Amino acid sequence: MKTKITRREAGALVGGAVAGAFAPGLAQAQGKQIVIGGLYPLSGANAQIGVDAKHAYDTALDVINNKHDLDLPLAKTEGLPNLSGAKLAMTFADHQSDPQKGRAEAERLITQDKVVALIGTYQSAVANTASVAAERYSIPFLGADTSSPSLHRRGLKFFFRAAPHDEMFTQTMFDFFDDLKKKGKPVQSIALFYEDTIFGADSANVQRKLAGEKGIKVVADIKYRSNSPSLTAEVQQLKAANAQVLMPSSYTTDAILLMKTMAELGYKPPAILAQDAGFSEQTLFNAIGAQGEGVMTRSTFSLDLAQKKPSVGKVNELFKARSGKDLNDLTARQFTAAMIMADAINRSKTGEPQAIRDALAATDLPGDQTIMPWRRVKFDENGQNNDCTPVLLQRRGDKYVTVFPAEYAVADVVWS
Amino acid sequence: MLTAENISQILMSGLLMGLIYALIAAGLSLIFGLMDVVNFAHGEFLMTAMYATFGLVVVLSLDPLILSPIVAAIMFVVGAFCYRGIIVHAMRARTNVGMVQVFATFGLAIVIRGLAQFAFTPDYRSIPKSWLGGQTLSLFGVYMPAPQLAGALASLLAFGALWLLMKKTDFGRALEATREDAGAVGLVGIDRNRVFAMGWGLGAALVGLAGAILSIFYYIHPDVGGPFALIAYVTVALGGFGSVFGALAAGVIVGIVEAISATVLQPSMKAIGIYAVYLLVVFLRPRGLFGH
Repeated sequence: MKTKITRREAGALVGGAVAGAFAPGLAQAQGKQIVIGGLYPLSGANAQIGVDAKHAYDTALDVINNKHDLDLPLAKTEGLPNLSGAKLAMTFADHQSDPQKGRAEAERLITQDKVVALIGTYQSAVANTASVAAERYSIPFLGADTSSPSLHRRGLKFFFRAAPHDEMFTQTMFDFFDDLKKKGKPVQSIALFYEDTIFGADSANVQRKLAGEKGIKVVADIKYRSNSPSLTAEVQQLKAANAQVLMPSSYTTDAILLMKTMAELGYKPPAILAQDAGFSEQTLFNAIGAQGEGVMTRSTFSLDLAQKKPSVGKVNELFKARSGKDLNDLTARQFTAAMIMADAINRSKTGEPQAIRDALAATDLPGDQTIMPWRRVKFDENGQNNDCTPVLLQRRGDKYVTVFPAEYAVADVVWS
Repeated sequence: MLTAENISQILMSGLLMGLIYALIAAGLSLIFGLMDVVNFAHGEFLMTAMYATFGLVVVLSLDPLILSPIVAAIMFVVGAFCYRGIIVHAMRARTNVGMVQVFATFGLAIVIRGLAQFAFTPDYRSIPKSWLGGQTLSLFGVYMPAPQLAGALASLLAFGALWLLMKKTDFGRALEATREDAGAVGLVGIDRNRVFAMGWGLGAALVGLAGAILSIFYYIHPDVGGPFALIAYVTVALGGFGSVFGALAAGVIVGIVEAISATVLQPSMKAIGIYAVYLLVVFLRPRGLFGH
């Protein structure tokens, strides 16, 4: 017991140190600065997500605080014009992918760092606890990159999400199956493979429900333990079920292990359609090489949108200069979240949490003023934006291309 | 669904993973047997070995299999250095010396992990091409991934070599004697610190070997040691604290129980199978299967 307490304390110490290292804005958080809090995993298995997220937010702050020739809100001015040019800053805290640490860090950011709003958190499980803390302190919480549908159905007044949730994503996947059916290539069986968290469970619930409605047979329904040393038994079950489409909901570590184990056990499903997460990461495809060809994922973003929206390419260059990577589904959503938050803070005129909340609730941003393939950003009474169309991407060579829906597609899907 | 082929596949996968678990646990068991210290940095030793393999593959362009003895040698030095640099100081504590040692290794774990994240970034690495990576042998419809097969064979060889070392060499006898009574060996001219340092080196070398082979088919990340270390602890406890060959049997049991419970129960509950078996052993034989 004693070991356990000390272990946790040791973890908290390290967490604090890391958070401190990532909070350079803190010292100057007075004067003409508005500070918002970012909650991300900056250590532990998902630390890379937090590091990339920080680059995405720094890119957004650069666009907001400096003059840029971009068709995005606040890009052409310096700072927030309605707050006499005040600069926007972010301070980051490390939730280590742990919902309890997420809640504690949210409270710390609110009470000690006096942030006026929170953005986060990558994992839905952490957003779940952190947004409840924000609600208690009446601080607006914008879920940038969390997708569990249950998050906006808790009756919270300070919770907002501009990006699609898993039901919308999954609906798009099944719309795609309908489309295939019309083309004479009906999908008859699917296999669900999902981790044992709110993300995995919510994702699988919707997939199961929609499959039932469409008369598609779920031949394997496998909930697995995340970060397992081995997925051999799980993959054997998938292989035995032999579904037409494998539908994984997994973060990067498990996605790598899943694909490698599949190769080792000689299992190659006719199609893979992933619920984003690990499958949006370049790291996965570096690890599995040619095996990634043809893999599909849902997404909110694709770099080939740059062909239709010039701002996508420019923002990507700004981001790449910082991170050395191209924008992906996650970092694009993070960038967009910061832009939406900045727009609301600017319209709030005061920079006070309650006024920001009301400004967020009144947001009506046309889709062409974002880098996303969205119609617009407008929150419903639950704080969810319903005008954000997900897209489906397919892996071709070393990149993803948009293949569905037709209005955003740049290539035809390859489907056997 | 449970055909004979399925059952053989489950048992084979469990056996192969189990032997790898045993190899990872061997070093932990050896160090514990020698000086009653649970090394909480064991998972981080594994992680260090995996990064060492990755680095050597990048620099030397050799196969991880060829590099595995080199990685084991590097880890021997790392292990011995950890003893000389840290553990030996923890042993000077007047009271609660066991706890001080445990927390010293715990601190070491956090430092190693933090340094790895700082130096190597938290990005996931993997070795894209190797002789065995992605290769699979199929025997009567039962798949045996080549990297796991190599890991299992390396594990058996390592346990064989360890047995020879313990039984046939002076060093082995000194190790055995120090294990029996660390105070008395001084009287017959054995330098106990030297034996301990060698024990730590050997323990780290064993986990180094495991790390080199694991890096063929597993991702490499500062936190990669955690899940494996947890299994190593239960393996050592199940086999009997300090019984190196108990760890071999226990590793195989853990691997097979894990594979069976993932199939019979649910994959998300496979850890429950392992710990249920461990609790059963505690109930029937608290010192572990082969504990003294």
